[in-house]
Amino acid sequence: MKRSTIIGLIALVTSISAYASAETTLEKIDKSGTLIIGTRTGSPPFGYVNKNNEWVGFSIDLVEKAIVPALSKKLNKPIKLDKKESAPQTRIPLLTSNTVDLIAETMTDTQARRDQVDFSLTFFVTGAQFLVKKGAPIKGIESIAGKRIAAQQGSTNARIIRERVPSAKLVEFPDQPAAFQALAQGQVQAYTNDGIQLAGLKAKAPKPDGWAVVGEFYSYEPYGMAMRKNQSDFRQVVNVGLMDAISSGLYFEIYDKWFGAKGELPYPLTAEAKRFLQMQVVPK
Amino acid sequence: MNYQFNWSVLWSGQSGGWLWLGVLTTLQIFVLGLALAVILGILSGALRTAPFAPLRWLAGGYVEFFRNVPLLVWMFFWYFGVPPLLPQVVQDWLFEHGVEFWAGVFALGVYHGARFSEVMRAGIQSIPKTQLEAALSTGLTVAQAYRLIIIPIALRLIIPPATNETVNLLKNSSVALTIGVAELTFQTRQIETYTAKAFEALLAGTLIYLLLCLTISTILAYVEKRVAIPGMIAQGQTGEA
Repeated sequence: MKRSTIIGLIALVTSISAYASAETTLEKIDKSGTLIIGTRTGSPPFGYVNKNNEWVGFSIDLVEKAIVPALSKKLNKPIKLDKKESAPQTRIPLLTSNTVDLIAETMTDTQARRDQVDFSLTFFVTGAQFLVKKGAPIKGIESIAGKRIAAQQGSTNARIIRERVPSAKLVEFPDQPAAFQALAQGQVQAYTNDGIQLAGLKAKAPKPDGWAVVGEFYSYEPYGMAMRKNQSDFRQVVNVGLMDAISSGLYFEIYDKWFGAKGELPYPLTAEAKRFLQMQVVPK
Repeated sequence: MNYQFNWSVLWSGQSGGWLWLGVLTTLQIFVLGLALAVILGILSGALRTAPFAPLRWLAGGYVEFFRNVPLLVWMFFWYFGVPPLLPQVVQDWLFEHGVEFWAGVFALGVYHGARFSEVMRAGIQSIPKTQLEAALSTGLTVAQAYRLIIIPIALRLIIPPATNETVNLLKNSSVALTIGVAELTFQTRQIETYTAKAFEALLAGTLIYLLLCLTISTILAYVEKRVAIPGMIAQGQTGEA
C-alpha cells in the first residue's frame, strides 16, 4: 500500500508537469474563446460578491474593460470572461495547473513570486497598516511589541511583522471575516493588512466610526496581475491593455467608480500614485 | 512553461524549522484532543447503554448534537462563541495564553468524543448481556460492573474502529488553521508564502501526514494483536492469537 501511494504521487506530479507544457496561453484563449481569471470573493472593492449577489470589483472591471478588449483585438474574435475564485494559497497553483490564465485580485508583486509567475505592470499601490478599535493604544508598527496581531495567512504583511517585530504575537487567519471577527471580540488587538483592504473592511463594518486605520505604511505593496511564466506574447497583450487604459483615461474612470468620492470605498488617488501609473506607460 | 520543481525549499532557510514546529503543534493538539475525545467517548458510550433512561438520553443528546454539526463550525464555536460567555478576566487571560490552541483542542476533543462514543457503545453492545448479569450476580453494583468488567472488555474489542477515529482526529486537526493555529498544514502554507513553491510544500505536508497516520495505525495494530481476547474478536491477521 505504501509503494502504490508513492507511485500514485509520482504519477500525479508528472501529470501536472506534462499537462502544463501543452500550449501557450494565447493559443489556449484563442481555442476556447475564453479568458479565465482567478479573483477574490471577499476582498472589496477589488473582487467581491456585492449585495445583489454579483461578482464585481475594481480588478474585475480592469480585466473586463481593458484587457478583454485588447485580447479580442489581438485574436480577432470576441473573448468571453470566466471567473474562478482564488486565494493567496491557491493562486499560483491555479495558474501553473492551467486552471486560470490570469490572477486579477490583490496580489502583491514580489521578487520571490517572480521566480514562479510573471506579473503585469503595477495597477494599484498600497502599503500595510493596522485596523484597531478607535482609541486603541496601537498607533503603528512601532507600538505592536508584545501585542496580539491578526494577519492574513499567506500575506506579505505577516512575513514583515515576523521579521521586524518578533515579539508581536501573530495570529494568522485564512480570510478577512475571521480576522475581523477576532478583532471585534478582542482575541486580537489589531488586524494588519494592506491599507486599502482595511479601509474596505472599515467601510463595510456595521459601525464604521468605531474603527480606525492607523500607522504609516510599513511595507510597499504594488498589486500586479499574475500569469504563467514565459508567456511574453500574452503578457504583452495584458500590459498593452492596461497601458492603453491609463493613457486614454479609462483607468481613472474605473478608479473613480470604485474609489472616487461616490464610489464603493472613497480612497482618492494621490498625485504621486497617479504619476507612477502614468510613467509605467511606454510610448506606442 | 513547465512548473519548476525545487525541493531544496523544504530544507533551506527556515522551512525545516517551520515544518518541525508544525508537526509538534499538530501532535500536541492531537494528543490533547484525543485524550479529551477518549474520556468523553468512554463516558458517554457507557452511559448510552446504562440501565437508566435519563442517562441514556443525556449521552444520546450529546452524541447527536456534536457529531451532526461540521467540525469547522465547532472550531468557530469554541473560538468565537465561547469566550464572550466567560467573565472579562478569564477572557483576557485566555486571549493572552493561546486561546486558539485550546479552542482547537476542545473542538476536536468534543466532536470526536461524540464519534468515539458510538464506537464505545457498539463495543459494549457486542458483549453478551449475560456478562453484565453475571457481574451483577456476584454482588457488584452496576457502576462497578461497568468499571471493572464491561468497559475493560469493550476497550479491547473496539481497537479497529478506534484506530479509524484516531487517524481521523489527526487529519482533522488541520481544520484548526481556520482559527489561526499554526499546525502542520498552516506551516506548509507558510513555506508557500515565503518561497512561492506550493506543490513542494503541500507534498511535504501530505507525506508527513501519511507518515504520522501510518505510525498510528501500526502501533494500534500491534496493540490490537497484543490485547485481543481469544474467541471474542475476529482476529484481524491469521487467527494466531
